[in-house]
Amino acid sequence: MKSSPATSASSLVLRLPMWRSRMVLFLMFMGFVALLGRAFWIQGPGNSFYEQKGKRVERFEILPAVRGKILDRNGIILATSLEAKTVIAYPETFPADLPATKLQALAKLLEMNEKDIRKKITESKSQIYLKRQVEPKVAKLIKELDIPGISMTSEYRRYYPEAESMAHIVGFTDVVEKGIDGMEKEHDATLEGKAGQRRVIIDRLGRVVEDLGDYQAPRNGQDLVLSIDSKIQDLAFKEVKAAVLLHHAKAGGAVVLDAQTGEVLALANWPSYDPNHRTNLTGEQLRNRVLTDTFEPGSTMKPFTIALSLDKGKITPNTPFEIGHLQIGNKVITDTHSYSVLTVSQIIQKSSNIGTSRIALQLQPEDMWGMFTSVGFGQAPKIGFPGAVSGRLRPYEKWGKLDQATMSFGYGISVSLFQLAHAYTIFARDGELTPISMRKLDSRPVGTKVISAKTAAEVRSMLELVTLEGGTAPKAAVEGYRVGGKTGTAHKSMGKSGYSGNKYDGFFSGIAPMSAPRIVVAVIIDEPTTGGYYGGDTAAPVFSKVVSGALKVLNVQPDNNLKDLVMNSDNSLAQKVALKQ
Amino acid sequence: MNRAVLILIIALMGCALMLVTSQQKTRMLFAEKNRLELQERRLNLEYLRLEYEQRDLSKSSRIIDLAQKQLHMSEPKQDKRKYFKVQE
Repeated sequence: MKSSPATSASSLVLRLPMWRSRMVLFLMFMGFVALLGRAFWIQGPGNSFYEQKGKRVERFEILPAVRGKILDRNGIILATSLEAKTVIAYPETFPADLPATKLQALAKLLEMNEKDIRKKITESKSQIYLKRQVEPKVAKLIKELDIPGISMTSEYRRYYPEAESMAHIVGFTDVVEKGIDGMEKEHDATLEGKAGQRRVIIDRLGRVVEDLGDYQAPRNGQDLVLSIDSKIQDLAFKEVKAAVLLHHAKAGGAVVLDAQTGEVLALANWPSYDPNHRTNLTGEQLRNRVLTDTFEPGSTMKPFTIALSLDKGKITPNTPFEIGHLQIGNKVITDTHSYSVLTVSQIIQKSSNIGTSRIALQLQPEDMWGMFTSVGFGQAPKIGFPGAVSGRLRPYEKWGKLDQATMSFGYGISVSLFQLAHAYTIFARDGELTPISMRKLDSRPVGTKVISAKTAAEVRSMLELVTLEGGTAPKAAVEGYRVGGKTGTAHKSMGKSGYSGNKYDGFFSGIAPMSAPRIVVAVIIDEPTTGGYYGGDTAAPVFSKVVSGALKVLNVQPDNNLKDLVMNSDNSLAQKVALKQ
Repeated sequence: MNRAVLILIIALMGCALMLVTSQQKTRMLFAEKNRLELQERRLNLEYLRLEYEQRDLSKSSRIIDLAQKQLHMSEPKQDKRKYFKVQE
């Protein structure tokens, strides 16, 4: 190859001055220094810009927790939390010229007025809650409307499938699922879940790709199993409601207790409310009367005085008492019918005030007070329920002869229906007062001995007479079962102005079945106005229906007139069923 | 010597690439895990809803009501009932 004359000519070789190459070297060095300086700046003090950029892909997330369910003793749901949506509007992006048809559709779905929505949208806020706790089905329809500036977030809403029949037991929560009443309030701490949280990185598709730590797992609330049997509860509620409507009464209530374990199987009130739709509720509807209202229990108190006297050996069921006329000071004790002589059993069967007073006056006030206290009167029941009241039992030092007599038949003392039912467990459980529980128990708790088993059995026999012909409550009888109990009819106390002449409370408190007591049921019908006012006419039929249904639900075998009913086990049908079991 | 350096450089580059790949895989798996967790939550919510619906439909009060009104059924009278002891 021939070299070019221009490059080979030695005269053309440039001789550059040294300073120029040094200058280039220096500039390159300075360039690196500048880069290094910038790198330091970015790493150190000047990094907030990049931090900001980085935060766009970093997200803080709340991990929601579900509130625990409330279940009945058979695992049936009484309260549960389901997903619901909160509808939020962003006024900045909400179109001012939204077609009227779309706005109408939105208003209809939200059950709101169009004008109200328009008004809310004009508020100067960045976001506005249009409606909370919207059902997922409705939320889906709202989403389909595709209105800009309308967005939805998830939350939970509490649902109560048993509605009004269980309202007073279960209670309800507020919009943020905080327990406000009933078991929801009492067990709020355990039912409530704890939301978790974490910091994550999301990619450009919005997927979570990395956990940045700070992870706290969500903790769901614990389920609560109650002692309630929802079938018995439903039955009790229906019967109480029907009786209140039949007698045009002010209110009514019923309690069903397991006589052996002290578990509350049902606790019904009327008036009631639907916890799923709580608008315009009145105090009358909200009150759990069975636990929070006290009343003078009338003749339902008589068995306690008589049990005390039997226990002390002062009387036997067959001891005769001259009834006649009884006046204490200037007060005359009266009976609805006049009797000359009644045995102790007949005093209970006929519900004689004079007879019971004569028995009470043989006792010491201190002993009577001790008896009433030991069955739980004058103390709030330890049941774990908000608002349970203690009733009123005055100290025995302040009792006069008249007080002692009237208290024996249930005046001058006030109790709640719940306390009354609880106290009757002493007759059902051979003299032991059973502790009460609203939660399902695995074993039979230890009771407190109040009277002897013999006395309890004697009182049970007397109580059974009440429901037979000649007693005050044949309407309490239950086909197929032997039952017993005591009626009560009390003039309502009007405070200082004495007792009302025409306002009554009708009661019935009893036990079933008598051969092996399984349940204690107490019923009150408050201020019945038509169809009788005696406990035997108002409350006793409710007792009968509730017991009849409850014993079938509990698979209790009938114990009355069974010769024709029970087949022998060698019967072919029985064998067939036995084989299938 | 040069050869050893070359091998180390290649190994280093291989490691670097594998690091990037495994990081990518981790992120994809994490995203998948997250998606499944969300799905689990959705299914749990759906289960709760179905459980509630089943409960609502199988309420004894509703069944008694339907039996009485639609099917005109009634409880048997006591004298029509037969009881028997099942052998244990």
